[in-house]
Amino acid sequence: MTTIERAVEPARTSIRSARAIERRRLLLWLLPPMAWFTVFMLIPYAMLLYTSLGHVDDMRFIPGLSLDNFVRVFTVDPYLGVIIKSARIGLMTAVLSSVVAYPLAFYLAFHVRTQRLKFLIYLLVIVPWWASYLVKAYAWKTILGSGGILNVGLQELGFVHEPVRLFLYNEFSVVMTLTYIFTPFAVLSIYAQLERVPTSLIEAARNLGADGWMIFRRIILPISVPGIVAGAIITFSLAFGDFVAPVLVGGPDSVMISNVVINLLGVAFDWPLAAAIGLVIITLGLLLISASGWLEEKTQTRF
Amino acid sequence: MRAFGNRTLVTALAMSVLAFLYAPILVMMVFSFNDSQYTGLPFNGFTLRWYGELFSDNQMLMSIWNSIFVGIGVVAISVLFGLPAAIALDRYEFPGKGLFRRIVMLPIVLPGIITGVALLSFYLTIHLRLSLYTIMLGQGTALMCITITEVFARLQQLGKSQAEAAANLGANDWEIFRQVTLPGIRSALFGAMLIAFSISFDEIAVTFLLTGRENTLPMTLWSLLRREVTPEVNAVATLVVFLSIILIVAGMYSSRGHANEREA
Repeated sequence: MTTIERAVEPARTSIRSARAIERRRLLLWLLPPMAWFTVFMLIPYAMLLYTSLGHVDDMRFIPGLSLDNFVRVFTVDPYLGVIIKSARIGLMTAVLSSVVAYPLAFYLAFHVRTQRLKFLIYLLVIVPWWASYLVKAYAWKTILGSGGILNVGLQELGFVHEPVRLFLYNEFSVVMTLTYIFTPFAVLSIYAQLERVPTSLIEAARNLGADGWMIFRRIILPISVPGIVAGAIITFSLAFGDFVAPVLVGGPDSVMISNVVINLLGVAFDWPLAAAIGLVIITLGLLLISASGWLEEKTQTRF
Repeated sequence: MRAFGNRTLVTALAMSVLAFLYAPILVMMVFSFNDSQYTGLPFNGFTLRWYGELFSDNQMLMSIWNSIFVGIGVVAISVLFGLPAAIALDRYEFPGKGLFRRIVMLPIVLPGIITGVALLSFYLTIHLRLSLYTIMLGQGTALMCITITEVFARLQQLGKSQAEAAANLGANDWEIFRQVTLPGIRSALFGAMLIAFSISFDEIAVTFLLTGRENTLPMTLWSLLRREVTPEVNAVATLVVFLSIILIVAGMYSSRGHANEREA
């Protein structure tokens, strides 16, 4: 060993032991959540896989190694169709929530002058969250129904002579109710993004002669994309998996995928098929997360 | 000047969105005082009867307590396991980090029913009897990512310099956590706890399959709404809204107090 190497050696050892300490610290933080997710997610998912490969005979589960249930999800009516319909309803909800949420988020981020008012409006956005989802959905029934407030109002004003039945028990009322329920999520997500826009950016644009519309179109809208995407992913996912709105305000054909799964478990007692649907959706969910991460990264602006 | 665009137009649009958000809540509140068996027009007159029935309805009161109990458990789980996960994700690089992040996020994009099915088949296999605790474990798993993402975002904002400075000054791990990390993330953690509690309190999808004999409030309301609807459901929801406003305002003021202390 040369003199230099001998001089460096203690430092090397201390780096090595520092690494060992770091690794121990990492495990200290990482092990509890990892154990949790293993027990309450990975093991249950593995059991779904096990169940999905078997079949049910005379109300009894027979283990197996067959992909039949997955084939059924994609070929037998109505499973794939219902998944696609749920995704369509989710997508409409996501788009509508973003459109409805944007003006409020915009107002909150740019036009509220005092902190006190900002706090108040922020509070007004999150309070509807606390009113029970079920009761809110039911309230829409009271508003949209044939003896409901909207119809009575329209008749009083003389716009229509008979109650309009198109408002309730169809896909429109399902999408409307879901949009209503999940809009606060979109508001918060878009607002968080808009809040990051530096005031100096707007002032600079104005000094360069841009009018309000141009500032919005060329600066604010591109910057808001990640917030819109994040909000849309949440609202899409929540709407996709919903089973309450179809039951309360939906019509006979507005069954969504969660309703189908509940029926498979309770009525048809076909756990293997329900498990297969679950795994297909878990795969789609992982794809969605990857896609959203990529999309948010791509569209994020650094200040 | 931060404001741009037509102020009147923007304000009018924002106010109509707020009106949309509050229309059904107003309906719910008004009909909770309506002297009629049915939720709907006409308005027959003011009564407190439904609140009276609510307070003598033991099943309903019990389910409110159950929901609070489950909510507290869910918050405890998501802090105990979510906070370490956020710290690990912020501080360290480790193999499988990308996968870990995706798995953690998965329950928020999955339909609650799917999380429920997976957990139910797990519970049945290990012969775990369904109870409030099984609901708690399910919701805790589903809602943990809220704490993880909120705290992680705050940790990334804070950066590492303060913790490193504390380490150079001789602070040990526990001291760094207690006196540097925790004060830095306090308001984010508090916000995440509030969100987790409020979602848990109103959670239906995960809870639906994992409920045993004791019901949470949404489950009780669900069974009521599917059979005969009495304005009692409006009364209960109105009551919860008012209690929550008090809770949120108190919470926000106290967490703002902390934020001011830090800035000072």
